[in-house]
Amino acid sequence: MALEFAAARETRAWLRARLWDRPDQALPYLLLAPSVAMMLAIVVYPMAQGFYYGFTNGTLIRPGAFVGLQNYAMLLGYSDFWNAVTFSVVFALANVAGCYSFGLALAVLLNLDLPGRGFFRTALLLPWIIPSIVAIVSWRWMIADENAIANRLITAFGLGPIFFLSDSRWAVVSVIVIKIWRSFPFMMLSLLAALQGIDQSLYEAAEMDGASRRQAFFHVTLPQLKDISIVLCLLMTIWTVNDFDTPWLLTQGGPANATENLILLAYRYTFGRNNVGLGSATSFITLIILMVLVVFLLRRQRER
Amino acid sequence: MSRAMKPARRWGLFGLLAAIVVVVNLPVILMILNSLQTTEQLMTARTLLPTHPTLANFYYLSGRTSFWTYLRNSMIVSGGCAALSVVLAALAGYALSRFRGGFLSVYARLLFVVQMFPIILALIPLFVLFRNLDLINNPLSVIILYTVFQLPFATWMARSFFDTIPRDLEEAAMVDGCSRFRILVRIVLPLSGPGIAAISIFSFLFSYNEFFVANIFLRDESAMTLPVGITMFMQQYSTDWGSLMAAATVTLIPTFLLFLGVQKYIAYGAVGSGLKG
Repeated sequence: MALEFAAARETRAWLRARLWDRPDQALPYLLLAPSVAMMLAIVVYPMAQGFYYGFTNGTLIRPGAFVGLQNYAMLLGYSDFWNAVTFSVVFALANVAGCYSFGLALAVLLNLDLPGRGFFRTALLLPWIIPSIVAIVSWRWMIADENAIANRLITAFGLGPIFFLSDSRWAVVSVIVIKIWRSFPFMMLSLLAALQGIDQSLYEAAEMDGASRRQAFFHVTLPQLKDISIVLCLLMTIWTVNDFDTPWLLTQGGPANATENLILLAYRYTFGRNNVGLGSATSFITLIILMVLVVFLLRRQRER
Repeated sequence: MSRAMKPARRWGLFGLLAAIVVVVNLPVILMILNSLQTTEQLMTARTLLPTHPTLANFYYLSGRTSFWTYLRNSMIVSGGCAALSVVLAALAGYALSRFRGGFLSVYARLLFVVQMFPIILALIPLFVLFRNLDLINNPLSVIILYTVFQLPFATWMARSFFDTIPRDLEEAAMVDGCSRFRILVRIVLPLSGPGIAAISIFSFLFSYNEFFVANIFLRDESAMTLPVGITMFMQQYSTDWGSLMAAATVTLIPTFLLFLGVQKYIAYGAVGSGLKG
């Protein structure tokens, strides 16, 4: 009997080794081949090409000549470029701070034993799942001009109308607030999953030690969330730097480039000014900035 | 949390959460309500809620604008992308789930990193290429681009589904002399039906919602998908708010319904964003 079991286990181990662990079989490579081919053709090769375009002076119609570092030198001298760098940084930091704190607060609330929390959880995902155009249309209507509903409300309190989209400072605020609105559900959902994964015995131990709710939050919850929070914030930073839809659909980068990030700038150089070299150079600088963040992210993940 | 809440505190927090839900969703709620008012009514309205609801905007949208063309284009693009990416993701996801090897982990890492790249760097050369191939304004161009851009998410999702299917069945079939590819097609894929459906719906949603790529590659009004088409209603000086809100409201319906169907599968995709090891 025992011998038969041992034999069965032996067969199974042998089978497993034959089925999955042999490094020389062709099947995994065949399965990956279509995906790898598409990746190379649509992402890797064009990116390399884009890198090369950054050293040329072509247009969308006519390939240009090699001009060395001229595009990069020009770019570093443009105030538009530094303006876009500044806005990208401000945009990313403000959004991460905003959507993380709002997302965490809601995750904590949704983790409590409240009636209807399943419904609330789904209802709060709406800003995240709707198409960007729908999100922006719904907000634009509220803040479009001095007759918009937000301004009617403000003037009813005897305050002057605020030009949310045509005043540079307010335009920056509007773009950030709407981006936070569109991003917080992702934070909320991920942090809620992390909260539900915290070992309950930690809270029981804290309670036994006489810790208050507040103390338990600061000494149990937050330290337990630290690793996932760093990963989430890095991811959100990368996604915000890459965002085109929010600033473009809301203000098209205006007024006076106040809400123009690096992606919008690359888009404007390429498709507005038909300057492929400058557009590609801007995109490549963005890639370098993002790669620094990605390296941090990968290092974080390896540690976990 | 282990400790029980007092009823007053519990209902107080419930009220707070309910209020937050209403405030957060207010822009969308108002948009839907306002789609029932004409632009003139909107400009002169004194109240938040429509006093004389009308379907005029929707009739106008249906009869006088290119709305149906946009919707048809959106369906072609999203359907095409869903079909293509589910095939690619299922094959690659199975390889990543079942086999180990240096190349596989390099590819997995590449998938993760690719999602972080600013895609405009690739879009510029692709625009030049597609222009030469006469693929601008062709739905095929965006179908290919969408499929590749959301391949990381779809592949990771497929991989996590396959991870949940025990290997014993495949091993038994192997003993019976079934070929490996047949094992995948005949045994594994039928078992992962819900997963396959979820992947195609997420791919559909991604394409249906996407604006940036469509905005670059679909420039002709007859080729535009809904998100790009809607910007046609948004001219800077004469926004036709009534039609705009009606168009946005109708656009929202498929997104909303499909999302309700797949929301429980979101956790599988989260693995792909690297949130879990």
